[in-house]
Amino acid sequence: MKILIIEDEEELAEGIATYLCEQQYLCEFASTLHDALDKIQLFQYDCILLDIGLPDGNGLRLLEELKKDNKQDGVIIISAKNALDDKIAGLQLGADDYLTKPFHLSELAARIYSLMRRKQFNNSNIVNINEIQINLLAKTVLANNHPVILTKKEFDLLMFFIGNKNRVISKSTLAEHLSGDIADMLDNHDFVYAHVKNLKKKLQDAGTYPYIKTVYGTGYKWEHQSDTSI
Amino acid sequence: MKPLLRKITNPFLIYVLIVLGISVPVYYVVIDGIWKSELDEHNKIIVEKTAFELNSLRLSDEKLQHSITIWNSIQPSTDIRKPGANDSGKDSIYTIEKQKSYVSHENIDRFRCLSTVVQINGAPYRFTVETNIEESIETIAAIAATTLFFFIMLVLGLLILSRRISTKVWAPFRDTVEKLKSFNLNSQHHITFQQTDTIEFHELNQSLEKLLKKNVAVYRSQKEFTENASHELQTPLAILKNKLDILLQSPNLTTEQYLQIEDMHKALSRSARINRNLLLLAKIDNSQFEHSEILRLDSLLLQSIATMLEHFEQKQLTVEKQIQPDVLSTGNSSLTEILINNLLLNAIRYSPSNNLIAIQLNKTHLEISNPGEVALDSDMLFKRFSKLSKNKLGSGLGLAIVLEIAQYQGWTVQYRFDNKRHIFSVQF
Repeated sequence: MKILIIEDEEELAEGIATYLCEQQYLCEFASTLHDALDKIQLFQYDCILLDIGLPDGNGLRLLEELKKDNKQDGVIIISAKNALDDKIAGLQLGADDYLTKPFHLSELAARIYSLMRRKQFNNSNIVNINEIQINLLAKTVLANNHPVILTKKEFDLLMFFIGNKNRVISKSTLAEHLSGDIADMLDNHDFVYAHVKNLKKKLQDAGTYPYIKTVYGTGYKWEHQSDTSI
Repeated sequence: MKPLLRKITNPFLIYVLIVLGISVPVYYVVIDGIWKSELDEHNKIIVEKTAFELNSLRLSDEKLQHSITIWNSIQPSTDIRKPGANDSGKDSIYTIEKQKSYVSHENIDRFRCLSTVVQINGAPYRFTVETNIEESIETIAAIAATTLFFFIMLVLGLLILSRRISTKVWAPFRDTVEKLKSFNLNSQHHITFQQTDTIEFHELNQSLEKLLKKNVAVYRSQKEFTENASHELQTPLAILKNKLDILLQSPNLTTEQYLQIEDMHKALSRSARINRNLLLLAKIDNSQFEHSEILRLDSLLLQSIATMLEHFEQKQLTVEKQIQPDVLSTGNSSLTEILINNLLLNAIRYSPSNNLIAIQLNKTHLEISNPGEVALDSDMLFKRFSKLSKNKLGSGLGLAIVLEIAQYQGWTVQYRFDNKRHIFSVQF
């Protein structure tokens, strides 16, 4: 899977690439709008990570180009601005998601994963991970062909884990994912523990392999060996 | 404080009053003097003319004596008689006042007299002439009345004229004052003052325009600085966060190292949050939010409570809700959500476990209360970075943002401590 990272901050682009490459994504870089426009003309990407504030122009122009050429590349906007207007403008121009700096790489990975599944399967929206089958649209889960009833947060967590297979995910990262902006204002992140525990229990009750492991006392990891597809 | 017009006219009027007051005795002295000298001349003419006429009659002494007696009796204001033994023979001019002889009530007249010695038929005679002259009191009264009349005329004229002129002359000044009153540095509207042909006002307007332009520019650049600084910080924060995410994946990490990374994550999240909050405040200051949406406060509040439900439950906090349906107001829904969330989070964070949080919403206000030990300093409470608690997790901006959002939307926020509870209320 090919990803184009359009970001003028080299360090940031490298960090993203390091994290994603280990998940067998192929990353290419563009640090200017000009560069990026050239690349999208020449190649097809599965996903484009787009920083709006580029040195030679507004990244939204790239979205206009993609729309004009009727290209289907998935686009996730990465912006330092949390401006609602930018968000709306971006999504209206055909971006698929919007992420505000600073973000966790695991959050980005999870979003890329969901985006790719949606694009890849032509809206059939079914993801199979060994004995687990997930319907992205209906947000339902089957384990060994038996329905597993998950709450919205548990489903969110499941998607986050399978978007970050074999990655250590800290409790605070999950807290931020689950409660967004307010996470760091909460005294403790024990609610994460409760949700993870429930998810683990529900999956295990349905007879699945214990994918979710606790690491370093408070971190988690979705351990997954047999499935090589990403 | 007195209006400028009165400040100027009052001394003028006092000055006019003093000048006119002094003029009364001066006029009297001058008029009386002129009058007396005229009467003295008149008396002298009568004496000389009478003596000349009597001499030219060439009467015998006997006849002359008879004529003088008749003269004296029909001309009451003159008296011709032989000089007495001790007559000095000198002339005298004087003023006397006497009662009218033919009326019974008091009626004093003033007379100007000339007493001189004339030669008739070669014999000396003392000739006395009295001419009625206006009494001094009457003169003074007449002058004073006239002066008073003119003083009133002056005062009225001055007041009417100055009022008329001032409305016209001061119009551009008033316009300037009105415009300054309604000027708001935040709104960034450029002010143009009315054109004027008064030099002073023109100079005033010019210097004001210069001053305002500079202030607006400084203010704008300062606000832009906050916004830009916050933006610029987001990228290094993102790099740090991402590097930590990668570090977390190192295969040989010890639990100790993992926990240190986690602590760094938390500190980083906090700085990111402070940065975000500063950015939010800068944006509210810059009026970058539309705030004329119709808000359904009840549903916004219920939504926020639902989002936070698990955090209430985690601390075993009971929520007592009294929420009226269909509470509408105008504002910005995102900002209002932030306001509600901040108040709810505060209540959760500062309440000990197993307690009660009361939430009340009606048409006029939203009230959120949580238990507490002592009252907080309500002046410091809403200031930026004035943390009153020892809890180190907050950004120190939560309540400042609440206040800022409320003010932006035309609401007021109040804090009170009542019955061992912290009560925050927002009036719409």
